[in-house]
Amino acid sequence: MSAIELKGVSKKYRRHTERPLATTLKSYFLHDLWHWQNDHKNVIWALRDLDLKVEEGETLGVIGRNGSGKSTLLKLISRILKPDAGTIAVNGKVAALIELGAGFHPELTGRENVIINGIILGLTKGEIKAKLDEIIDFSEIREYIDDPVRTYSSGMYMRLAFSVAVHVDPEILLIDEVLSVGDAPFTRKCMDRMNYFKKLGKTIFLVSHDLGMVQSWCDEAVWLDSGQMKLRGNPTDVVAAYTKEIR
Amino acid sequence: MIERLTQLFKYRALIQILIQRELKARYRGTILGFLWSFVNPLVLMVIYVLVFSIYMRIDMQNYPVFILCSTLPWTWFSSGLNEATNSIIINGGLVKKIYLPSEIFPFVYIGSNMIHYLLTIPILFLFLILFQVKVSWLLLFFPLIVCIQFIFAYSLSLILSSLAVQFRDLLHVVPNLLMIWFFLTPVFYPIAMVPGKYLPLVDFNPMARLIMAYQDIFFYNRLPSIPSLSIMAGLSSLLLLIALSFFEARKDLFAEEV
Repeated sequence: MSAIELKGVSKKYRRHTERPLATTLKSYFLHDLWHWQNDHKNVIWALRDLDLKVEEGETLGVIGRNGSGKSTLLKLISRILKPDAGTIAVNGKVAALIELGAGFHPELTGRENVIINGIILGLTKGEIKAKLDEIIDFSEIREYIDDPVRTYSSGMYMRLAFSVAVHVDPEILLIDEVLSVGDAPFTRKCMDRMNYFKKLGKTIFLVSHDLGMVQSWCDEAVWLDSGQMKLRGNPTDVVAAYTKEIR
Repeated sequence: MIERLTQLFKYRALIQILIQRELKARYRGTILGFLWSFVNPLVLMVIYVLVFSIYMRIDMQNYPVFILCSTLPWTWFSSGLNEATNSIIINGGLVKKIYLPSEIFPFVYIGSNMIHYLLTIPILFLFLILFQVKVSWLLLFFPLIVCIQFIFAYSLSLILSSLAVQFRDLLHVVPNLLMIWFFLTPVFYPIAMVPGKYLPLVDFNPMARLIMAYQDIFFYNRLPSIPSLSIMAGLSSLLLLIALSFFEARKDLFAEEV
């Protein structure tokens, strides 16, 4: 059974262009109220008719230019967004390292936020309590863990958020451009953790502009272009083709 | 429908922790801390007593107690509804990044304001004793009235919060409506002062029925109107059904529109 399977998936967004008040009121009552769902002019297709299969234990790198649909793809897999067409089947618990620190409250302490964030990410209270020490140690900011998060530097903030995220222990890991959160030693530590996940046979879905990493670390690569798959295959070949195109 | 409610139950740990987050964060960094929960309603009470009892001479015994027992649940209703209307938008960070059933967000704000309300009940009791107002076993109705109010407020907040994502105007409309609603509800005046021909206006006001039930058990020490509470229970449950499906139909758009 594949870990992730997308069939004919399309996703569109509505645009929100600011218009003068008189226009918005008029067009709202005369037009949008009746037509907004099939208003073709104001629609952007982020993904078009995409088929994609990821096998269990596979590490897949996704590359492509800004706006090519990479993040939309991750959000669809993590069920945050619903596709406008097609089906998405996901087998296993998903953790999305999409943007870290979602749900952090600036007034609360690091420790309190770890607990809240852990539960938001799907851990039970018991699990998070059991892992609390490990998470704090991983973040290396134990000294400040009982200070409010608003006093943290952005580096400390990301370290803490990342530490919670990698302790969720999912079967499928979605990573969007977050491995560059800390200084070199911390990045190395994160890579170790990722390698550990890989060794455990977890399915990893990596979106990155770090072509070197995609090439050296992924089993396969996919190149997205304007919401469609342009190329899939051996990371070295895909990265080479992509580099040639964007140069 | 049942599925939606079990969904809420399944996520109870998250709801609980988000309510805790709201309660903890509210007074974090202040010197008085939790005491603000007592100060705010007392200030409100003093000013109402000054204006309505002393300046405008509403002739009523133990007026401060009357004021307290009705403004406290009203404050729960209005702050809860105000915060809940904004709940999807303000939690946009979560809605956009993590898959969660969004109906928990309005629930969290109605819930955290309810806990706030319950925590201020001791002040009410203090004043009941101070003014020697008698209460009896009728206080057993209290949990029931609170439950009905919760369902009513949560249902409204489901509709308002989902609409507010698309129509931000609601964030300005709701506070105004709540102010009008406040004056039309017998919160600081007894129902007896309303002229007979305007009584239908009170009858069609669900909050009036609830506030009067609180006044019955805390102030008048009499049985709250059972037909009135039954109507409210039925109405709130029906509204909840409608609100949940209304919310369901719109929630897929939240992650994009928020």
